[in-house]
Amino acid sequence: MEGCSLRRLLTVLLLAACAAAGLASPAWAHNVLVGSDPADGATLAAPPSRITLTFDQPARQGYAQIGVTGGDGSAWADGAAVVSAEKVSVAVRPMPAGSYVVGYRILSSDGHPVTGKLTFTVAGTGAAAPSGDAATAPAAAPDAGAAAAEAAANGGAGMAVVWIVAALFILAAGTALALRRAAPPPTGPSSTAEGGASEGVESGGSGGRDGKGARA
Amino acid sequence: MTATQVAAGRAVRGQLAGGVFAVSAVVAAVVASTLTAQEAVPGIPMPGPLVTVGLPVVRVLLDVAAVAVVGLSLVPKLLGFDAPERSEPVLRRVRPLAVTAAWAWAVCALLTIVFQTAELNPGRVPTLGMIASYVDTVGTGQGLLFSAACALAAAGIGLMAVRFGEKVPAELRIVVALFGLLPIPVTGHAVDSVWHDPIMIMMEVHVIGAAAWTGGLIALAVFVAPRAELLAVALPRFSRLATVCLLMVGLSGLVSGLGTMALTPGVELPGAIVTSQYGLLVVVKVTLTALLVPLAAHIRFRLLPAIRAGRATAVAGWATAEVAVMGLAYGVAVAITRASIG
Repeated sequence: MEGCSLRRLLTVLLLAACAAAGLASPAWAHNVLVGSDPADGATLAAPPSRITLTFDQPARQGYAQIGVTGGDGSAWADGAAVVSAEKVSVAVRPMPAGSYVVGYRILSSDGHPVTGKLTFTVAGTGAAAPSGDAATAPAAAPDAGAAAAEAAANGGAGMAVVWIVAALFILAAGTALALRRAAPPPTGPSSTAEGGASEGVESGGSGGRDGKGARA
Repeated sequence: MTATQVAAGRAVRGQLAGGVFAVSAVVAAVVASTLTAQEAVPGIPMPGPLVTVGLPVVRVLLDVAAVAVVGLSLVPKLLGFDAPERSEPVLRRVRPLAVTAAWAWAVCALLTIVFQTAELNPGRVPTLGMIASYVDTVGTGQGLLFSAACALAAAGIGLMAVRFGEKVPAELRIVVALFGLLPIPVTGHAVDSVWHDPIMIMMEVHVIGAAAWTGGLIALAVFVAPRAELLAVALPRFSRLATVCLLMVGLSGLVSGLGTMALTPGVELPGAIVTSQYGLLVVVKVTLTALLVPLAAHIRFRLLPAIRAGRATAVAGWATAEVAVMGLAYGVAVAITRASIG
């Protein structure tokens, strides 16, 4: 008897686990740096005008940071990092010859900050490499598209609301079931109302809907 | 006289179990997170020590509170409903504690959101706007919010159980508590492949199995171990549950851990187990799980027959030792969700 109900419990949980996994967007994964321009350890004839890091997954908008530091600790990044799908780039001011460290910290698409660094050396002080400027123009355009795709993948706050409402609905149904199973004792009505009210207050913080559901 | 002294000693040792679990979990979380912390890189502001230490602490306290809720919810099921006059005194102490633990769970989940927002905005105190935008854009925040909502639901149902006793079905309390664990894997690593969903399910199984096993054992050690006649009923039931949980936790942990590494680009599997932080933490967790097996086997095969026969045993001490190892595994788990895989 008891083993049976335990098995039923496990089945329900497994199904719920499958549902939760299905809800989680398949785009959430841990980002790994797969390439960069300039490459790690490269020696450039002319200073770059832009540093571009390429990850295996699109990075999150809004939390990416790239720092470019010279040998004397001076900062050379010009403005904020731009996220364009899996490419994260930042413009750099014209830099003299020397070695530089690129540090980055991005928000991985599964929600973890990922940090790392790479180095490159500028050998000459010629004009900025033109290839960098070409990357600037297309970087801005797919930005909006990437943001939209990311929002679609997340479901944004709407998804969280759906989750919470669904949870509260299940809670309300369970509470109603529990109250029905508890045969109303002589003092039933008053104590039931009290229990329901405290229940409503509990869940009220995340959405007032449940209070009514529990009491109904 | 001596019998009561022995019983009292056993009760004290059993009650240590909860504290031992929490302390070993927090210590392991801080140590493992510090050892595997991402090193500072030049030119990038990094979060301060309050965040780097505070985040693993609140995150592991979330786990501790969730384990407590699950374990306390399991107690009525383990004691059974045949002898209310014996189980009711225990349950009257268990029910309010479950409500308190559920509140702690919700508070820790919300605090974790605040700390994770602070981690992403180094050098600034997180404002409500920053927290809202974090929850809006990052799945981890949404998962934690959902977990907090489930914890509040568990607190509400727990309050009803305080009032109405076992008329509130024990299964409902267990399911709501375990439901709150479901979004927790979303806060960990994920892979981008067709294996995403199977690995997610493995992590769900892992989290649920670990919570039921650990929580059930702590609740038994603290509340049931001092009462021989209740223990003789509850321990065989728990033992069956624990065997299932051990298999669930071990298998799902290996599959999701190795699977996550295998599916991450740039990770060479046999070597990465000892070179990457993630791989080393997987090794630590496998070792801790292997360490649990002899402890659990001793309780199951040596002590259980004596307990069934009504003899006094040192089960509380053995359970406390097992719980301490489980606490270490929970602490390492906090670090593993954040360690770099590559």
